[in-house]
Amino acid sequence: MKEFSIIGKDVPRTDAIVKARGAAAYTDDMKLPGMLHGRILRSPLPHALIKNIDTSKAASLPGVKCVVTAEDTPKIKYGNWRLFPETQDEYPLAIDKVRFIGDEVAAVAAIDKDIAEEALELIDVEYEELPAVFDVDIAMKSEAPVLHDYCPTNISVNRKIKYGDVEKGFAESDYVREDTFTVHGVSHAYLEPCSALAQVDLDGRITIWTSTQVPYIVQCLLASTLGMRENDIRVIKPFVGGGFGGKMELRTWEFCAALMAKRTGRPVKFTLSREEEFLAGRRRHPMKLHSKIGFKKDGTIVAKDLKIQLDGGAYNAMGPTATFLCGNFGAMLYRYPNYRFHGQHIYTNKPPASAMRGFGAPQSLYATEIQMNIAAEDLGIDPIDIRLKNAQVSGDKIPDVATISSCGFVESIQRVAEMSGWKEKRNSLKLGQGIGIGCYSFISGGVFNWFNTQYPFSAAEVRVFSDGTAHLLTMAADIGQGSDTVLKQILAEELGLTMEDIRMTSADTAMTPQGDLGSWGSRVTLMAGNAVVNAAKKIKEELFGAVSAHHNLNVIHEIECKNGRVQAKTRPDYGLSFGEAVALVQKANRGEPLVARGSYTPRGKGLVTPAFGFGAQVAEVEVDKETGLVKVKEMWTAHDCGTVINPRSVEGQLAGSIQMGLGYALSEQFVMDGGKTLNANFADYKMPTAMDMPLSHVTHVDTYENEGPMGAKECGEGLASPTAPAISDAVYHATGYRCKDLPITPEKILEHVEKTEDVGLESRKTLHCDLEPEPYKIG
Amino acid sequence: MRLPKFEYFTPKTLNEALALLKEQGEGAYIMAGGTDIVVKMLHGRLRPKSVIALQEIDGINKISFSPQEGLTIGATARIVNILSHPDILQYYPALTDAVKVMANIEVRNMGTVVGNLCNAAPSADTAPPLITMGSVVVLTSLEGERRLSLDEFFKGPGITAMNQGEIMTSVFVPLPQPRSGGSYKRISARCGVDIAPASAGTMAVFRDEICSDVKLVLGAVAPIPLRAYRTENLLRGKQWTHELIQDAGYEAAEESMPISDCRASAEWRKKMVAVLTRRTLVEAYERSKKN
Repeated sequence: MKEFSIIGKDVPRTDAIVKARGAAAYTDDMKLPGMLHGRILRSPLPHALIKNIDTSKAASLPGVKCVVTAEDTPKIKYGNWRLFPETQDEYPLAIDKVRFIGDEVAAVAAIDKDIAEEALELIDVEYEELPAVFDVDIAMKSEAPVLHDYCPTNISVNRKIKYGDVEKGFAESDYVREDTFTVHGVSHAYLEPCSALAQVDLDGRITIWTSTQVPYIVQCLLASTLGMRENDIRVIKPFVGGGFGGKMELRTWEFCAALMAKRTGRPVKFTLSREEEFLAGRRRHPMKLHSKIGFKKDGTIVAKDLKIQLDGGAYNAMGPTATFLCGNFGAMLYRYPNYRFHGQHIYTNKPPASAMRGFGAPQSLYATEIQMNIAAEDLGIDPIDIRLKNAQVSGDKIPDVATISSCGFVESIQRVAEMSGWKEKRNSLKLGQGIGIGCYSFISGGVFNWFNTQYPFSAAEVRVFSDGTAHLLTMAADIGQGSDTVLKQILAEELGLTMEDIRMTSADTAMTPQGDLGSWGSRVTLMAGNAVVNAAKKIKEELFGAVSAHHNLNVIHEIECKNGRVQAKTRPDYGLSFGEAVALVQKANRGEPLVARGSYTPRGKGLVTPAFGFGAQVAEVEVDKETGLVKVKEMWTAHDCGTVINPRSVEGQLAGSIQMGLGYALSEQFVMDGGKTLNANFADYKMPTAMDMPLSHVTHVDTYENEGPMGAKECGEGLASPTAPAISDAVYHATGYRCKDLPITPEKILEHVEKTEDVGLESRKTLHCDLEPEPYKIG
Repeated sequence: MRLPKFEYFTPKTLNEALALLKEQGEGAYIMAGGTDIVVKMLHGRLRPKSVIALQEIDGINKISFSPQEGLTIGATARIVNILSHPDILQYYPALTDAVKVMANIEVRNMGTVVGNLCNAAPSADTAPPLITMGSVVVLTSLEGERRLSLDEFFKGPGITAMNQGEIMTSVFVPLPQPRSGGSYKRISARCGVDIAPASAGTMAVFRDEICSDVKLVLGAVAPIPLRAYRTENLLRGKQWTHELIQDAGYEAAEESMPISDCRASAEWRKKMVAVLTRRTLVEAYERSKKN
């Protein structure tokens, strides 16, 4: 491991104190003079034609300042896949047709929120209801209702991957099996509901503060959708209370806030309610996964054929990326010499699914990992051993994707097995107790430029001053994951400064350097981090030259920035304070400030990602066989995220991932009646609480990623994948119930227990035949 | 959403409150802790003409207990105070069980037991244990006081035997009988913050190994907290055996009338009734040995 002064150290998050004190201002905390409050009218029907909208009563309600429908907009479609305009299928407000319950129909801005809410009830919309479709299998039939005229099949994206010869591979396999898995939709459930506040300048330009993961994408799409120029829009991202993929597109309220600010000349703010977020918000893609896999007797994988249908809901949103990625993830973790994938993204009359932490990986890897465990059992191989046998290693080439650079997967599996006491527990736990494993691999940012930006993927500007301080400017968006802290750490390390020496401006599209594609795909540490390193190196070159000249150093000396000084490495007394060195450079340049720009765009790294993270996780559970309730007792994680830049942030990502994985595996789901979400509140949407969290242990496997800043790569999203399969495998170990249909509900477990209780459990369950209920103690 | 317009009163005496309630008539609502009524108003499910808050009335927030007379819980006594009451823990542990798992810390700090009863949710956590303990509610109006067995109080979801003009000023819980034991358990898919899809409260009296008397109330599996009379009859006077407890579980499941909703299916709820019935019976028996 390389030696660092700030990287890898226990550096407190720069936002920790203000957030703990409640002093951090989020978008909804902001108030501007004369500000109006906006509310959105949503469709009560899953599929209907809009015959007429009468807003006159709403507009005449005292206090209402503006009412808009699609007729008041330029009617320009938007969507993140700018490179392929045919995938852009959404308007800010519905034109002629609504496609899900919650689809945005009109917006009101009034002097307070309550009046705006009341005005919504006064808007008369005449609908003609159409037949609706809620199931992907039905949606793909020829007689199914069509959601979008441009797409008569309802299949909006087809993605195929193929290498090797899958049929030949199966023919050469000793063991082939096919399984179908279904996985469900869940909510991002970020603590901060979406909020946007727009203000129009005297010259007609727009400034918008918005809770977003992607300031640059919002800037560009807001401009095109309003028919304005990009530079006329300034997007500022205040503190954001989480995104998890749910805030990575231009959204209706951002558009309406800007449009209505223009029309009224007053600032307009929209903040969604939690009910709106649950009823109409984006969600994780429900998928149907059909996987066929072939092995040799010894457990070596020969071929895999994966077909996935994504239930996209009413619009594409980030569905095309999810469709691409779940195919790529299907070929990760293990070596598949022959691989075939067909993914289909299908429209249904439900709220659109979109990006969500893991971006296709949790679904795809659930199928991979459960099937791996089934195969291991059938082949008589321990789940750990079958993984070790097939695990991807550094240097493995995935056709058309990448050559894997750093890879700590094998070590992760070995370490997690040791930490958890796998071998012993797998053989000795009693019925009702179980231990299971799940693994993951994830990308460190995407390469494929679907947004079609002409800018670098990430950029940074560094300004240094003669008082020994620096100012870091970057468009990278800290949405709570801690990128501001990490990027400061990287700059402090490079320049030999302290965290306190660095001022930071981030995520303001008018002030920070173009561009940055946003916080998604676990891209920020690697990409924005590299941009910071790049800028810092340019600054250092200038400083090194000045110090060298000042001390008349022999050219063989290597110079470093360390402890607030710029000095010769082997003769630290030959040096200057950082500020003195900056002043010298300025003097040599007629007083010009010392500023450098850096950037990063992946090159020569294939079309998917510059680097992969890996890891393995073991869960231990206890199942109450009378109620079917699962308690996750303890979890062990060993993972490879390259250099750990901020250990507590990494552990925070792990804790958050386990919490999300717990909900995904066991308790969270949208209860739907057709297109209507029935559990639109936290009482009935069962997100685990702090009290549900298991004990957790972690080991960071030591690797160094050459493409990452200081050797770092992703750690934010990959960890969202292994928890559900690990728990699922543990539940199988405890009860014999193999879940191929998430979530693992008590009802499903009980149904299985009852079925097998009569006949006695097969396989390993007979080892501990303690199926009789605990005798009730008498007397 | 905007709170619908309403009059808000904070009477200082019970008589003042009763007079206001009469004067305001239909559309007047009583508020104790506000944890149900305010939420309903915010969601537009309730539009009261007036709200009469009891919090400033002296004397009705008391919890009083004596080993001779039993327990009285005043109308504005907070759930959190029940939770921390040592006598309740000692003499009525099933009630402590119930308030321990109710809602969340914030709601327990504001909410009241009497309010939980008056809200009359089928899933109300305090109803099953209090019914099994033979509790009596005190309903006060300008005409005077009447006492009603809690057993006869619930008439449907949100519907009670309370008349217009009445305020539930307290709930009285008699002393537990010798060799009796109580238990309350519920199912929760999530620790801490949850609304139970099924719950059960039991109070049983034993003579040697005979169950001489028993009350069983099932929560969230019928329009009201459901007294399981058939199961009680099955148990009463019987020798306490493993088989008896098993049978009681099946009988209670049969007797319950759950619906399927977004929290659980009717079928699973019935299974849970059986499990909860058995588990509360076992715990009630264990606890009876201490009395």
